[in-house]
Order: sequence, then C-alpha cells, then structure tokens
Amino acid sequence: MSLFSGLNISASGLTANRLRMDVVSSNIANANTNRAKLVDGEWLPYRRKTVELSQMGVSPFEQKLQASLNKGSGQVSGVMASHIKEDNAPFVQTYDPTHPDANAEGYVLSSNVDPVKEMVDLMSATRSYEANVTALNASKGMFMKALEIGK
Amino acid sequence: MKLLSPTFNSLEQALSAAALKQKVHSSNIANVDTPNYKSKQVDFQATLNGVLNNQPMASYKTDAKHISFGNSSSHTNPSIKVNNSTQYNTNGSNVDMDVEMAELAENQLWYNALTERVNGNLNSLRTVINGGR
Repeated sequence: MSLFSGLNISASGLTANRLRMDVVSSNIANANTNRAKLVDGEWLPYRRKTVELSQMGVSPFEQKLQASLNKGSGQVSGVMASHIKEDNAPFVQTYDPTHPDANAEGYVLSSNVDPVKEMVDLMSATRSYEANVTALNASKGMFMKALEIGK
Repeated sequence: MKLLSPTFNSLEQALSAAALKQKVHSSNIANVDTPNYKSKQVDFQATLNGVLNNQPMASYKTDAKHISFGNSSSHTNPSIKVNNSTQYNTNGSNVDMDVEMAELAENQLWYNALTERVNGNLNSLRTVINGGR
C-alpha cells in the first residue's frame, strides 16, 4: 500500500481537468471560425468539442457489473479523458447574402459554440482542478509526516 | 524478547488503513466529473475490528486443550465499499465534494496523530535504551 499511488491518482485528475480547460479554450477561440473543415469541397464551421471522462483502467462492462452487484471491493483508480467528442447541435444560421461563405439561399453557417456553456464548463474544470490540488497537497503532507517517523 | 509492543503493530496497520483511505478519497475527488462514477469509501468499522482482533491477547491456559483467543496471525485487510445509495448528480456520479473534502482533512489529522504516537513509542523505547538519560 503506497501513498505514491494516491499522488498519481490526484495527478491524473489534474491532467484530465487541464485537458478540459484546453478544450474550452479551443472552443472559445474558435467561436467565430467559419472554415474549420473541408467536406466535399465546402467549408464547414467549427464544431464545439467536449471531453468525455472515464475511470482509469475500468471497462464499461466492469462498471455495469459492479453497479448491478451493488457490493464488493471497488477498484481505486484515477480518471482519464477517454475521448474528445464533437457536439452535434445544429450550426447557427444567419442571413447575410453578401458574406463570401453564404450558401445559395443567402444563409451563413457559423459554429455552434455557446459562450455561456463554455464559461460554465470552465468554472467546473477550474474547481475540480483546485480540489485535486488540495487532495495532492494532503497526500504530500501525510507522506512528509511519515518520513519524520523515528527522528 | 520482543523489542516493540503490540501497540506498535496496531499503529502500523492503522497507518496503512489511513493511507488507503487517502487513496480512495483522492480517487473520488479525481472522478467527480466522471459520468456514472459511484463514490467509494473504506469500511472503517471493519478496519477497526481487524486492528483490534489482531492484538495478541494473553490467554491463561490451564490445560493443553484450551483454545487460545486472539488470532495474532491474521492480517487485517480494510475493504473498499462502493456507495450506490445516495442521490446522483445530473451526470450519474454521486460524489459529494463537501463530504470528500471534510473526510480528507479528517483523515490527514488522523494520520498525523498516528505518526505522533509511533514517534512517541519510539522515543520511550529510546529513553529505555539510553538508560533514562
């Protein structure tokens, strides 16, 4: 039983939340990007991205099994970002026939990034990051204390 | 002659239980935003009983057939329980951040107190070794 794996678990939380912040930054930076992806010769605007988190080293089957058994020793592990998903919400349409990217009907598609959602995600990621820092410091403090045994 | 008292053994096991508890709380805090994560906790009562049962007790035997109590050989293994009972957040995880933080702080103090006691034990042993000087 080591304290170090406790530090690693907190570190995985820090990494995951840092990635969430990076993705939010990317979303906000690209909120006005009209040409993000070329599909069949046509430019598509930027799609909002979200991070999907999952427990480290635990398969979905194992999760379901443990949930249905409702008992037994749970596996203690960190968190990881399993993949970055794209938000399938429809693009925002604005009528602007003079715009170079306007389609035949005169509508311009722009990204589906909602700044309000991004700010909420950012706050959530920041708070989780801080909580992981606190846990890391607690583990570190305990480890330093253990080193003092026998002095 | 045994150099260290049985208390020392108990303290050591309590220390590793506290270390495990710290790990479980770290894991809960790291997974607070994981969908469908269920919070875990160390079964403290089982840990305590394990530590108490593990203390070798002297039994007065007048006959060879008497059974001695207090099994000093079994090693206590604190179990980790998954908590499926509480209300879930919107993403299906049921980590209560306030509880986790409070228990983290509590566990830290507990660990520090145990370390102090281990040091106290060692210091009294040192006093004996130095002949009370």
